[in-house]
Amino acid sequence: MTFTIGKVASLVHVTPDTLRYYERAGLLGPAAKSKGGYRLYDHEALRRVRFIKEAQQCGFTLSEIRALLDLRASDRACCTDVRRVAVEKKLQLEAKIKVMKAMAKALDRLIAECTSESGPLNVCPILMAFDKGVKGTRQ
Amino acid sequence: MRVELFYTPGCEKCADVKDELKAAAENLIPDLVWCELNVLDELDYAVELGVLILPSIAIDGEVVFSSLPTSRQLCSELMNRVKMGA
Repeated sequence: MTFTIGKVASLVHVTPDTLRYYERAGLLGPAAKSKGGYRLYDHEALRRVRFIKEAQQCGFTLSEIRALLDLRASDRACCTDVRRVAVEKKLQLEAKIKVMKAMAKALDRLIAECTSESGPLNVCPILMAFDKGVKGTRQ
Repeated sequence: MRVELFYTPGCEKCADVKDELKAAAENLIPDLVWCELNVLDELDYAVELGVLILPSIAIDGEVVFSSLPTSRQLCSELMNRVKMGA
């Protein structure tokens, strides 16, 4: 059984453009083309698109997802390989969270310094701090 | 000097090589402290040091190798640090 691009898009809740984008990124390809040249997808394509969407939800980029799909298809890979990739992604996410927390703290300090609601912009402590450089936001 | 190897459990690469690295490092620097840290148990510390790839090796709190080095590479790095500290 095959599906047109529009049918796949509606079944997995993405747009046809997204599917074409996945194809350009090397993540997905049609199983065949119709006589009229339209892309036709099989059940494996549906499975891959769901896989891509779920992996994106966990923070994986498309190139990382391609590597995961390659791992899934590899005879030599095992669960430990996938687990290591997941742990590395978690480390990257935690590192980003750390940076974002530092940003939020820096903003807390600036907001606390800005006590006037109607002061002129040339003495705005937030803008002045950006001119001088905000402490605590650089790693 | 303190060497920390961050690993994920089940990593066969680490299991094969870590004993060899440890022996080479301890042979070079007898009072060296060698630690093997399961990154899932030490996640906050790993993030603090900037570990993003596994396995990684940190020396005195600095990530120096983001893949397993050869014994020679590790010993060379340790020797450089000994010289710089001397």
